Amino acid sequence: MRDRTVLHIEDNEYNRKIVRQLLSRTSFKLLEAADGEEGVAVAQRELPDLILMDVQLPKLSGLDATRQLRADPRTAKIPLVVVTSFALSGDDRRAMDAGASAYLAKPYSPRDLMALIHKFLPDN
Amino acid sequence: MRRTTVAERTPLPVVALLASPLGGLVRAVARVRASVHVKLLAAFLVIALLFIAMTAVSLLAVAETARQTTLLDEAHERVGWSRQIEQALAMQMHFTSMALLSQGAESVGLILRENNRFNDTLERLQTAAPPEERALIQSIRVAQDDAMATVADIANALRDRRLADAMTALRTRQEPIYQKIEALVSSLVAAEETRMASLRSSIAAAQGRSLRLTAGFAVVSVALALLAGFVISWSFILPVREARGFLSEVAEGRFGGKIVVPNRDEFGALAEHMNWMSQELHRLDDEQRVAAEQLRGLNDRLALASRAKSEFLANMSHELRTPLNAILGFTEIMLDGLYGEVPTELREPLVDIQTNGRHLLRLINDVLDLSKIEAGRLELGVAEYSVQEIVDVVHASLKSLAIEKGLTFTARVAPDIPPAWGDGRRLMQCLLNLTGNALKFTRRGRVDLDVRLEGDWLTYRVTDTGIGIPKDEIDKIFAEFRQVDTTITREYGGTGLGLSITKRLVEMHGGRIGVDSELGKGSTFFFTVPLHTDGELS
Ligand SMILES: Nc1ncnc2c1ncn2[C@@H]1O[C@H](COP(=O)(O)OP(=O)(O)OP(=O)(O)O)[C@@H](O)[C@H]1O
Ligand SMILES: [Mg+2]
Repeated sequence: MRDRTVLHIEDNEYNRKIVRQLLSRTSFKLLEAADGEEGVAVAQRELPDLILMDVQLPKLSGLDATRQLRADPRTAKIPLVVVTSFALSGDDRRAMDAGASAYLAKPYSPRDLMALIHKFLPDN
Repeated sequence: MRRTTVAERTPLPVVALLASPLGGLVRAVARVRASVHVKLLAAFLVIALLFIAMTAVSLLAVAETARQTTLLDEAHERVGWSRQIEQALAMQMHFTSMALLSQGAESVGLILRENNRFNDTLERLQTAAPPEERALIQSIRVAQDDAMATVADIANALRDRRLADAMTALRTRQEPIYQKIEALVSSLVAAEETRMASLRSSIAAAQGRSLRLTAGFAVVSVALALLAGFVISWSFILPVREARGFLSEVAEGRFGGKIVVPNRDEFGALAEHMNWMSQELHRLDDEQRVAAEQLRGLNDRLALASRAKSEFLANMSHELRTPLNAILGFTEIMLDGLYGEVPTELREPLVDIQTNGRHLLRLINDVLDLSKIEAGRLELGVAEYSVQEIVDVVHASLKSLAIEKGLTFTARVAPDIPPAWGDGRRLMQCLLNLTGNALKFTRRGRVDLDVRLEGDWLTYRVTDTGIGIPKDEIDKIFAEFRQVDTTITREYGGTGLGLSITKRLVEMHGGRIGVDSELGKGSTFFFTVPLHTDGELS
């Protein structure tokens, strides 16, 4: 069975580094993108098993990128977690409306993030 | 929309009358420079004078009739007297004949008595008779004197027993004289009767005349009263109608019109005032329009600014959280040993970084919340929520802190509470703030959560056995950045935003917040919100 890929779309290098660090101990293969357009392109090319999408991205916002991926039949079914600014800001509702499978409020605990990844990509 | 009432519809005859010269009269009366009071008084006065004149004329007619009736009575009396004269004459003749037959002188006395009666009556008749009859009466008197002379001669002849002479005197002198007198009296009676007839007809004529005059006056008075009534009332009604139309125009918001009435009375003054009012309204309306236009512009710019501000806030929120995410994330994975075993002496500073990072995060959240509320940009996400769930989450997330501080921490939700409507997460934030405070400001004892339903209102209550709040501080703690004792704050952290945010969130739900506290004994914070908050309230 091929390694499952996780695409992390986030413009902040340090936050990408944390996820990189978290996944380095696992069998997941990590793909990264630093803006919305790149994220959509990588997703459509690589068809990952899970997408982590920051809500606020350069060039194309996380919500717009989500909508584009949901509109594309190849990527429509891929589990997608939107990282929102603040649970109470209304971002969560907007994320779900755009087609996210789940959302996670920033700042998130790395432990919670790993739990979410395992939920969508269970070990079998 | 112009409202038409029954009173406003003019009956057709009135329309016709107003179109006739009468309309001109109405306007002329309106134009008279006199007060309504004076106009009404004048109209009443004219009519009253007319009635007075009518009364005077009929009184005069009555007096005339009475005079003629008296004349009639007098003539009647005179006729009576004339008849008495005739009778006396007949008696004289009778007694003369009797004297001749009885050949005695006693009858002469009776004749003299009748003669006296004749003379008396004639005397009365003469004084009462109109001048034209005096001559006739005089001839009667002369004839009577002749007759009396003859009677004396007859009496003398009888006394001297000259019967033949007496007979001759009677036949040749006395009888012609009596016939003459009788003829004279008859013509007197005839004259009086003619006079009576003419008097009667003149009385009838006078009565007819006075009847016609009275009727004429009555008709003219009534007509004049109607005319005055019509003219005066319409000279008032026309401006009132004009004003009504004008006012409904104003009521519909069409200002600046002008009302034109011919009146120079109180109605004219009223119309002038209304014109002034309309002008003034027009001016104010224009000013108002300009102001509204300016306000709209300002409002648009403000809305733009407000949108920019809330966009800025949203961006800011994310910008602040992104590095914080890295700080807290790295700390956590280090503490979790992802970079290898953490040396014991580094553990404490790492936990300190984590504590302060979390504090900074809460601060960011609170400040952003508050500024959003201030800007009116915070919207409640109203949905169904479970009270039990809220209380469970709050209890679960603060249980470890209570255990750490050695406090008893209980939560109780009344069993009869149905699913509620409101922003569940915001209400949870409120309960978290109050419970967090209770745990923070309590060193020994307990903290109890309790939710009850009273009617349509939910009351969330947090009771602690903590330090309490001084009376003079109770009203102030709900203000931003307000803290009673900064030493505790230094010990536990906090900025004094929790209560003010909680208060505003509760109020956005249409509820209210309150506290009972005794210094050194403890505090009970509670907030009451409707079981069903509708989204409009926010
Ligand atoms: N349960 C309580 N017992 C005693 N004092 C209280 C209690 N709750 C609040 N206070 C007083 O009210 C003040 C304001 O409370 P608030 O929650 O607004 O601020 P804070 O708790 O100091 O800081 P923050 O909540 O922003 O971290 C507190 O500093 C404290 O002095
Ligand atoms: Mg507080």
